[in-house]
Amino acid sequence: MSYDEHDDETFRERIDANPRPALIWIVGLIVLLAVELGRIVDGIIALGGAIRFALSGIAAGPSWIGDNVAGTLGSAVGTGAMILTALLLLAIAGSLVKTIFVPGSPLKRLGYDIDQTKQTIDLLDRLFLTAILAVIALLAITSPFSGVLESGINGLTRGLESVSSLPTITGRETISNEGHRTPGGGWEGTFLGLSPAWAWALRVLVVYAYAFVALAWLWKGYTIFREHYREADWTPRDDSINRFRNHYWGIFGLIIVFMFVVMAIWAPALGPVDAEHNLYSPYEHEFEYLDDDTVVSTTHGTANLQSQSQGGESTIGLMSYDDFDRWAPFGTNQDGKDLFTFLVFGARTSLVIGVTAIGLATAIALAMSLITAYYKGLVDTLTIITSDTIISIPAFLLVLLLSVIFQQANHPIADVYNGGLLLALIFAGIYWPGLWRSIRGPSLQVAEQEWVDAAKSYGQTPAMTMRKHMAPYIATYIMIYASLLLGGVIIATAALSFLGLGINPPTPEWGRMVSDGRSYVSTTSWHIATIPGIMIVFVVTGFNALGDGIRDAMDPESDTGTSDAGAAASGGGG
Amino acid sequence: MSQEPTRTERAASDDDRIDADTDEDVMVKVRNLRTYYEGGGLLNPTPVKAVDGVSFDIRRGETLGLVGESGCGKTTLGRTLVQLESATGGEILFDDVDATELSGTELEKWRRNAQIVFQDPDSSLNDRMTIGEIVREPLDVHDWKTPRERRQRVQELLDTVGLQREHYYRYPHQFSGGQRQRIGIARTLTLEPDFIVLDEPVSALDVSVQAEVINLLEDLQDEFGLTYLFIAHDLSVVKHICDRVAVMYLGHIMELGPTEELFSDPANPYTHSLLSAIPEPDPTVEKDRIRLHGTPPNPRHPPEGCPFSTRCPARIRPDEYEHLDNELWTRLNTLREVLRERERADRTVTDRIRELLGKDPRFGTIDEIYDELFADQSVPSNVDAILEEVADHVRANDETAALDQLKAEFGGACESEPPEYYTVSDTGRQSFCHRHDDGYRSPDEVLNTRHR
Ligand code: SF4
Repeated sequence: MSYDEHDDETFRERIDANPRPALIWIVGLIVLLAVELGRIVDGIIALGGAIRFALSGIAAGPSWIGDNVAGTLGSAVGTGAMILTALLLLAIAGSLVKTIFVPGSPLKRLGYDIDQTKQTIDLLDRLFLTAILAVIALLAITSPFSGVLESGINGLTRGLESVSSLPTITGRETISNEGHRTPGGGWEGTFLGLSPAWAWALRVLVVYAYAFVALAWLWKGYTIFREHYREADWTPRDDSINRFRNHYWGIFGLIIVFMFVVMAIWAPALGPVDAEHNLYSPYEHEFEYLDDDTVVSTTHGTANLQSQSQGGESTIGLMSYDDFDRWAPFGTNQDGKDLFTFLVFGARTSLVIGVTAIGLATAIALAMSLITAYYKGLVDTLTIITSDTIISIPAFLLVLLLSVIFQQANHPIADVYNGGLLLALIFAGIYWPGLWRSIRGPSLQVAEQEWVDAAKSYGQTPAMTMRKHMAPYIATYIMIYASLLLGGVIIATAALSFLGLGINPPTPEWGRMVSDGRSYVSTTSWHIATIPGIMIVFVVTGFNALGDGIRDAMDPESDTGTSDAGAAASGGGG
Repeated sequence: MSQEPTRTERAASDDDRIDADTDEDVMVKVRNLRTYYEGGGLLNPTPVKAVDGVSFDIRRGETLGLVGESGCGKTTLGRTLVQLESATGGEILFDDVDATELSGTELEKWRRNAQIVFQDPDSSLNDRMTIGEIVREPLDVHDWKTPRERRQRVQELLDTVGLQREHYYRYPHQFSGGQRQRIGIARTLTLEPDFIVLDEPVSALDVSVQAEVINLLEDLQDEFGLTYLFIAHDLSVVKHICDRVAVMYLGHIMELGPTEELFSDPANPYTHSLLSAIPEPDPTVEKDRIRLHGTPPNPRHPPEGCPFSTRCPARIRPDEYEHLDNELWTRLNTLREVLRERERADRTVTDRIRELLGKDPRFGTIDEIYDELFADQSVPSNVDAILEEVADHVRANDETAALDQLKAEFGGACESEPPEYYTVSDTGRQSFCHRHDDGYRSPDEVLNTRHR
């Protein structure tokens, strides 16, 4: 946060004065990062790809609009529209860059002393950054530079990719469970010659151990900061954290949620088989197994056909090997695919959709609540009307409606992530009004506080006032509702997929697993539907528990000082 | 040295002032200032007239008290002076610059000179920020010098208001009400303002710390040459700190003059009433207490004439009724207030149906009201006759006609015309009351005869 920037200096001084704890912690952090470097870089590359995808989507906007306008109004107007859209996008980007990356005024820093209001200077700064971005954008598309840029990016990606292929402690290759029996009775190809089951179990253990150690190390970092480097002996947040630490239901929720997140992040490492090999293109990947004392190889697809769980004797149930000596901890599904692998990648799907949807909805709700509480009046009324309109339609119906429309129309968005992105966007659009409504009371209350007036009285800008004096209070509330709602989104996604409308195959999704397995519930293949069902219940309960924990930890009523509640009650007196 | 930042500016503004201002002493000139709050939405367009035409001067270096019951508009007036509310009309001249006209850069610069201390120290400090961040924020906003110098300045200020430098990294939760108010004061001082509005700065504090904070404010005034507008609902607080006092009622200033004089020899009937409400420290002194009846009128519908006319103990009465019993006058007033309430109350459809059926659970019949008010009074026949006519109007559900009739009969100058400001002493004390006109007996005299 830029308003803390002025304390950086002293923070550095404090570390200089007593560097030992910080150094120890940093060394630990480096070790932790180093053993998983390949995976982290992999994540960065994936993130870069997603950003690139989003950027290219946005960059295609102007010409798309230009083409559309040109189609109806002629090419000159079309070009105008394209330029306008491009400028608008650049201006938005400029503002974002200004608020997120550039503290203070870049113009002032360059030595221009402008005798204007903060707002005007701010505007000028934004224009300045927009202009810079425009120049960069122009350079990026003109021929000599675009080539340089392209090769630069490619070089970078290649470099990163070579790093990402480094072995990691949780990698499939490090502790491999894929191998075949030897005629002598042992195993070949697996880690230390262990049986695939044990090798896999060991890998899962390492993944979770690593994740919990990393979490503990972060917590350790916080306590080191709190003990050695923070100037304040006490902050209001300490009380909340202490309260949360004694809130066992909340901690239970946190652990469940954390394990779910780890499952999603380390999905490739957790599955006993490689998802690409077993789920997505099973006929293009072969593996070896021992058949009557000879090691032969076959494709996963062929093998899967004989490992299907469709009730009866042939079912591959929990904790068992199939006929090809592939270890299936949760059995296989009706197509013979490994259920556990399916499950962990399904966790990824749920998490991505949930986080995207709730992240967007929260951002919209927070921004709207700040603006409506600060300015009130017309904006408030319009937002009420909009949100009431959306809320008045049953949410699930609306989701159904929208997803059917988009999928029937074959809109390009419906293809991204097999409909996952579309679903996330729909959820965000439908859930923000509810979120906004739930935090409207608190935000109106905080806007009435005298410190907001005080900020106005010494000329603080509205944007900064909202960010500094209102947002921290509202964020508390929105976190509670967001974590409750995240469970809701996971259920809704599952329900939609159950109905065949959410996430299309082949992207794994828990709701579809339940749907696919429901006809086998009374047979020996009961696990196909039951396990994902239980997982959904667990995760949703986890999110609810976490929300409860946060609420009890942050609840102003239970604050040590009574002043929060008192201020709310007596605010605006006089 | 902490005085550095605005010294040059201050000098410059001094020059301006000498050039432009002939009345050398005056710092703030308020002229016919009005601040209305818009009515609640489309259905209720009548604005609340929180400040309804006030004019006064604040002299450089003085402390002007602003006293009144809660809801009289004093806080709104204070907030308008520092441009936290925008004025509906009138002027606020700071050294001949009209603050109501400022916007943009000028307003931002001007804000440095006019600051406000809030009433509730719990609500005026953002308790997610450290004391340092809170006090430093104005400096950050105005990009004052380097971060290191800002921190130093804040620590000096904490010293100045009687806190410790180490408190920089503490949070508001860790402080008592009095200390929090000191922090609030330190924050207003960061920008070196010339003028500070103190909005009931001690009324939320324990009596034991009130005096400390008041002393601090006085010390700061001496040290930095500050000018204060001290808002209070309590005359006794004002008595010690203020050079002059303005008494406010329902959006108007009723009386304004030097503190000593105003306390020892109040001119306006409202000031009289307020003063007589202060408990006498010496119980042996027999004091004739003037009791005010009723509550202040709704500022959405202020009375037509003098704002105080609905409750004034010295109201001008028509000659023929001058000698009616005081108690009867009070009852007549109450009657009018009841009818005004009824006139304003919106009646729902159900209420109307009930009325048609002869049931009126909400208001009670006029006979019941009369019973309540006049049963134990000896009502002269001429008054009785009028009351009968009034009752007829009310029975016909025409409160407006009833009120008109009462006003025509029992009203006087106070209710038909707003008074003017009369200078009531050679110190220039002003009072807003018809009774200072030569045609009437003075408030003093009237109160003496009526309330002995
Ligand atoms: S003008 Fe009349 S009502 Fe108003 S204060 Fe004077 S005497 Fe009272």
